[in-house]
Amino acid sequence: MALLEVNDLTTHFHTRDGVVRAVDGVSFSLDRGETLGIVGESGSGKSVTCYSLMRLIPEPPGRIERGTAMFDGQDLLKMGPRELRKIRGNRISIIFQDPMTSLNPYLRISTQLVEALQMHTDIDRKSAVNKAIAALEEVGIPEASKRVHSYPHEFSGGMRQRVMIAMALITEPDLLIADEPTTALDVTVQAQIMDIIKQRQNDLGTAVILVTHDLGVVAGTCDKVLVMYGGREMESGSAEQIFYHPRHPYTRALQKTIPSLQAKGQELFTIPGLPPDVSKPIPGCAFYPRCPYPKTGTPEGERPALAEIEPGHCWSACGFCDSSAPIETVLTKAGDVADDTLPETAGSNA
Amino acid sequence: MNTLVGNPQEDFLVIDDVKTHFDLGSKFLTRESKGVVKAVDGVSLTIRKGEILGLVGESGCGKSTLSRTIMQLLRPTSGRIWLKGRELTALSDKQIRSERINFQMIFQDPYASLNPRMTVLDTLAEAVRTRHPELKGDELRARVAQLLRTVGLNPFQMKRYPHEFSGGQRQRVAIARALAPEPELIIADEPVSALDVSIQSQILNLLKKLTSELGLTMIFISHDLSVVRYISDRIAVMYLGKIVELGDAEAVVDHPLHIYTKALMSAIPEPDPVSERSRTRIVLEGDPPSPMAPPDGCKFWPRSPVEHDERMRHEEPPFEEHVPGHWVSKCPFCVQETQAG
Repeated sequence: MALLEVNDLTTHFHTRDGVVRAVDGVSFSLDRGETLGIVGESGSGKSVTCYSLMRLIPEPPGRIERGTAMFDGQDLLKMGPRELRKIRGNRISIIFQDPMTSLNPYLRISTQLVEALQMHTDIDRKSAVNKAIAALEEVGIPEASKRVHSYPHEFSGGMRQRVMIAMALITEPDLLIADEPTTALDVTVQAQIMDIIKQRQNDLGTAVILVTHDLGVVAGTCDKVLVMYGGREMESGSAEQIFYHPRHPYTRALQKTIPSLQAKGQELFTIPGLPPDVSKPIPGCAFYPRCPYPKTGTPEGERPALAEIEPGHCWSACGFCDSSAPIETVLTKAGDVADDTLPETAGSNA
Repeated sequence: MNTLVGNPQEDFLVIDDVKTHFDLGSKFLTRESKGVVKAVDGVSLTIRKGEILGLVGESGCGKSTLSRTIMQLLRPTSGRIWLKGRELTALSDKQIRSERINFQMIFQDPYASLNPRMTVLDTLAEAVRTRHPELKGDELRARVAQLLRTVGLNPFQMKRYPHEFSGGQRQRVAIARALAPEPELIIADEPVSALDVSIQSQILNLLKKLTSELGLTMIFISHDLSVVRYISDRIAVMYLGKIVELGDAEAVVDHPLHIYTKALMSAIPEPDPVSERSRTRIVLEGDPPSPMAPPDGCKFWPRSPVEHDERMRHEEPPFEEHVPGHWVSKCPFCVQETQAG
């Protein structure tokens, strides 16, 4: 049985301006020790998916409308606060993007690390502190026995993120959710942090959900990939399937627009237009308005069903574009895509 | 170019041994100095007209301080800067103000750099009038409309406020504002790092197109070598307030000399699962040292995977031309011909 089985997760925010469909029917599963990468641009619903699993969505305005998330036989979405508290920070941990705002600036690192341990296990303070020192050593913090009593501001950004990782893994959770753990860091530090996450995952057999917008990070770490757009699943499969045989026009286009993959001196490929406004219902495929392939019809009503191409490789099969040609031939290379081809409301989703 | 510091009378922008230090003041009772942050510590550069110079480095390496020093938003502690034969460092604050219409800046965060209470029309009109104070009414409006079209926005959006635009569109407005006074030099400080991947390439294409069409010169600052490689003609790699490598973009990216450049390159994750998993990286240890107490000698030795000897830990390596046009901080341990890159 899979460790985590998410089915048709739907989280909406009921705001004054209408219903924001942040996550709209997302399904995935994750085994022990596996890494799932959730890729998407800002506003694609990847973070809300994670927060929904941890039940960190502010309700109201947010509401988990539908779906199940079976974690080791229990549905996370139907749990009461007491049961949740036993799981959060113990069996499921989360690392946020910005380590400065997620550590308490008034408390010593030792206090914050020990809190999680003492909450969930029957351990005296002294041995908890020793365990915290060991956890800091595991993530490569020099002189851990001294630095454990420092305050967060005494650490650099990369070191703070290491502290976050140590804190998240101190209870040896079954599942670690990492929400853009390296976005705020330098590339050289990013490489160090990803290595630490991978290494700790091997040591402890933790399953990891890695949320990121960087396809390069996904390629190096993930077994499975879920591509999200407009709150929906566009494509999912193994890393090899997604990177070498992408099927959905969005996945293909996203890969093509990465600067490092393009020859110097040429214009970069671009996807015309802007990400969708999820506060309005989107008929058919969410990517349809920006899809560069020739259109064969206008979608209406229901969104396209997921179709399985190979075992484990699914895509949201929109039937209204002809995606047989290679993506290079249809992506725009002409200097700049004029935004004025967009409807007048284009700016309203900012 | 044979020398690092060109002829101030002929070359477009000449930076001669610029240092920008921040004094942290002294302690209250003892009057003991709290130290000096050497953010930019001896940078020399010559920038040709019409070129795009990419400036790369980790956070804290001084790339933003250098750009603000060129803009004269910060006055350098020592060193001189000439733009088109005029010595900027010798001008008074008042003279700088009027000179600044020739060089403009684009910032990282378009949310913070546009005034939320001014419409796009107001913002751009103000910038246009720094160059053409006589423009009014319909003429001014026409000029703003033209600017918006140049950056790929529709003129009907000019009555809108910044919050009504998405991040990418807002960055386009910021670009239009930088272009409004018809500058010759643009300094773009991480202009795409706050944007989504699919929007990033739109902005990069736009910047590249504008520089060639309008004959602009640009200094493009980024921590992302893959972006810099794409847009720049030449690349300068900064570390702890100094340039460690400088050369044509192809040369620096395809044949990096300094081990720091190689490490920066190898840290970029490749979007290809098989090669990414089998690749060996040059992993740097720890974070960059504090610019308050930079190490002696070759500044890279505490983090370098190659052990440095006693001499290079104390003696600063010279910045020399390795092959024509390709300069490097020539530490014998950091620059090794045979090293796998």
